[in-house]
Amino acid sequence: MKQQLGKLGLREYISIAILMVGAKATEDTPIHLFSKVQNASWMIPILSAGIFFIPLFLLLKTMTLFQDKDLFSVIQKLLGKYLGFMVCLLIFLISSYAISFDTRSYANIIRTFYFTTTPNLIIYALLMVVCTYGARKGIQHIGSVAYLVIYLSVFSLWFALVLCTQKSTFQAIFPIWGPGKLEILKQSSQKLTLFADFFLFTMLIPFLTSIKQYKKGTWFAFVYVSLQISVAILIYICLFDVGMDGLAYPFHTAIRFISIGSFLPNVEIIFFVTWLMSAFIRFTAFLYLNSLMFGHLFKIKDFEYVIPSLATIYLLIGSIPEAAVNASTEFKALSLNISGPAFAAISIILWLAALLKGEFKREKNRNSM
Amino acid sequence: MKKTGTVCNLLMFLFIVCLLTGCWDKEELEDKAYVIGLGIDHSNHKGQIKVTLLLANPEVGSMQGGGGSTEKPREIITFDANDFIAAKGTANAIISRNISYELLKIIVVSEEYAKGSGFLTTVSDVQKDKEIRLDGHLAVSKENASEFFLKNRPKMETRPHKYFQYMINHGIENGLIPDSTLFRFFNTTYRETELYLAMYVSAEKNKHPKVQREDEYMAGQVNATGELDDTQFMGAAVFRNGVMIGKLNGQETRIVNILDDTTNIKDILIDLPDPFSNKKKQISARILKTKSNKVKMNVKSARLKIDITVPLKIEIMSNPSMVDFAEKKNQHIVKRQIINHLKKVNEKFFKKTQTKLKGVPYPLSMYARRYFGTIQEYKKFNWRKSYVNADIRVHPNIQIIDYGKQTKSLKR
Repeated sequence: MKQQLGKLGLREYISIAILMVGAKATEDTPIHLFSKVQNASWMIPILSAGIFFIPLFLLLKTMTLFQDKDLFSVIQKLLGKYLGFMVCLLIFLISSYAISFDTRSYANIIRTFYFTTTPNLIIYALLMVVCTYGARKGIQHIGSVAYLVIYLSVFSLWFALVLCTQKSTFQAIFPIWGPGKLEILKQSSQKLTLFADFFLFTMLIPFLTSIKQYKKGTWFAFVYVSLQISVAILIYICLFDVGMDGLAYPFHTAIRFISIGSFLPNVEIIFFVTWLMSAFIRFTAFLYLNSLMFGHLFKIKDFEYVIPSLATIYLLIGSIPEAAVNASTEFKALSLNISGPAFAAISIILWLAALLKGEFKREKNRNSM
Repeated sequence: MKKTGTVCNLLMFLFIVCLLTGCWDKEELEDKAYVIGLGIDHSNHKGQIKVTLLLANPEVGSMQGGGGSTEKPREIITFDANDFIAAKGTANAIISRNISYELLKIIVVSEEYAKGSGFLTTVSDVQKDKEIRLDGHLAVSKENASEFFLKNRPKMETRPHKYFQYMINHGIENGLIPDSTLFRFFNTTYRETELYLAMYVSAEKNKHPKVQREDEYMAGQVNATGELDDTQFMGAAVFRNGVMIGKLNGQETRIVNILDDTTNIKDILIDLPDPFSNKKKQISARILKTKSNKVKMNVKSARLKIDITVPLKIEIMSNPSMVDFAEKKNQHIVKRQIINHLKKVNEKFFKKTQTKLKGVPYPLSMYARRYFGTIQEYKKFNWRKSYVNADIRVHPNIQIIDYGKQTKSLKR
């Protein structure tokens, strides 16, 4: 690793976390939830957060043992050279898969609602070029830009949601349990992927001033984001009711529907611009994380140089699905079901490994000495 | 060295300006023809529909203080097409500009076509189209939609988009037409529990209109003379599962609008029978609704029981019997009269929906949902069937906040 490492502030880290995870409320994730549990889908983010809290807590506890080490170093230390490498590779592959189809779904949204005649590949390529440019600048720059954008993006999201409430009926959330309590629990354990990014953020620990700061930021962002996603879905349900089943992107359908009084109809462009900015940050940070992992896996010191090539590969993978529908229902649904539980399992395995190896005891001894 | 860097940066910004054109999606206002109204009629050719496009000229009225172009503010074309999406292409054989549905305000369907089964499939294309916004309104016209647009010649508001915007907004505020957005149409049709109301319009005046009590009219029945346009927006067409099954007059539509919390009514002027005279005199009053209804249901009993409390604020506007409203006794009489009247009118209306329309024309079923734990239980309950046999009570909760500017009247 480089010697003069610029540090990432706490508020910058929180901004990145909120933009990356909170953005899930504004794409097609709410629809994936709604198709399974209908009007109870607003509970899923909160319940998933509750379930994901356990592995995340254990992971952070394990990470504290190795002050200022990132996730991959810890994995390789705990699981040995070969097994550790395999696990790291698995994490890298899963997140590569996720970023490919997430970016594709964003390109789809832009094409569906705003640039209807521009070829998808052009929009997609532009998105990737911007993200590559940002990621090449390094995590400090991403952090500062995220902090610049965060207020605007959070404010505009809540503003749009408040405008939505004018046209919505609260009764739509009843019957309160939707398809039944068991189904809700089953789905919320599967949809842990909502918070999978928090697992990947442990790669950023060396960039923060201390692990204490890191923990503080993580918990704050974790609670806020789960509330934000849940409230957003709740408001979509109140607005669209059962009609939500046929939609593809509820946030964008909603902002095309709302207006600010009767003088300002068609206000979606205001929300679109801020949404686009937060989307850039989201994928810039995601791309940077992925290249960080790649650099770690294959011992590349100046991993910044692989970012353009990685972005190109993701662009090619993301272009595989023919239509927007395939990307969303086939490819993305898979990553939505797999990556969360996989990351949760890895966190628990790491904690068990640390426990069995007696790392916790050694830490205690070191403290008492 | 620093200078070169600044110049390079500036040049890069200049290059970025080129991107602002939007590449493939470059659009120019001059080159656009915006469809404001879309008419759908029955066609004589099998499997086709007759599409009418009302196009607004964006150049007219955009100039401040005159000096605008002398072009006509609108253009109307009618032709046969398979659906109204592909019709955009066909229309370009006639219209010189690029046709866009982005500012579509109103879809007008003829009553004849709305009663057929083809309507739902035709209008469903709205959801597939990327330009049409769901806040456009749906209207049913008495005559053919193509004739409606042709005959509609507003005298004062010649720009069609403004005309329809004002006409619809004020109609809804006065409660005479329902807030029939496309969004609501699809929501209601998906939900399958209640009826959808579309506004009823006509540009053809009845030859011999009957004089009726205030607002018991349909569009085309209001007897107005003078220098005016004959277009009228009044009443509602009732849809069940996307097929038109009946009509409501202006007064009934207003009852629905007052009952429905999801419609934004401002304040409504109505007539009430005067309790102090026996000569069928009427008091005019202004109704304000600031709070939501309270609905209680008993879903466990054999017959569904619904209790609706409607909180209303009322201002008395006229005093045909010249009574003194400063007296407590008279205030009580008026209040009781209004409560009884509203209760009677509302319950009569519910009876009509149960027997004739066999469904409720606003989302009342939403209130029933909270009594059920899961969707399966709610489906088993079968709202539609239960509603028809339900025992419905309306309790108006009246607050008279004003008796007019002057409480004492002239002595006769």
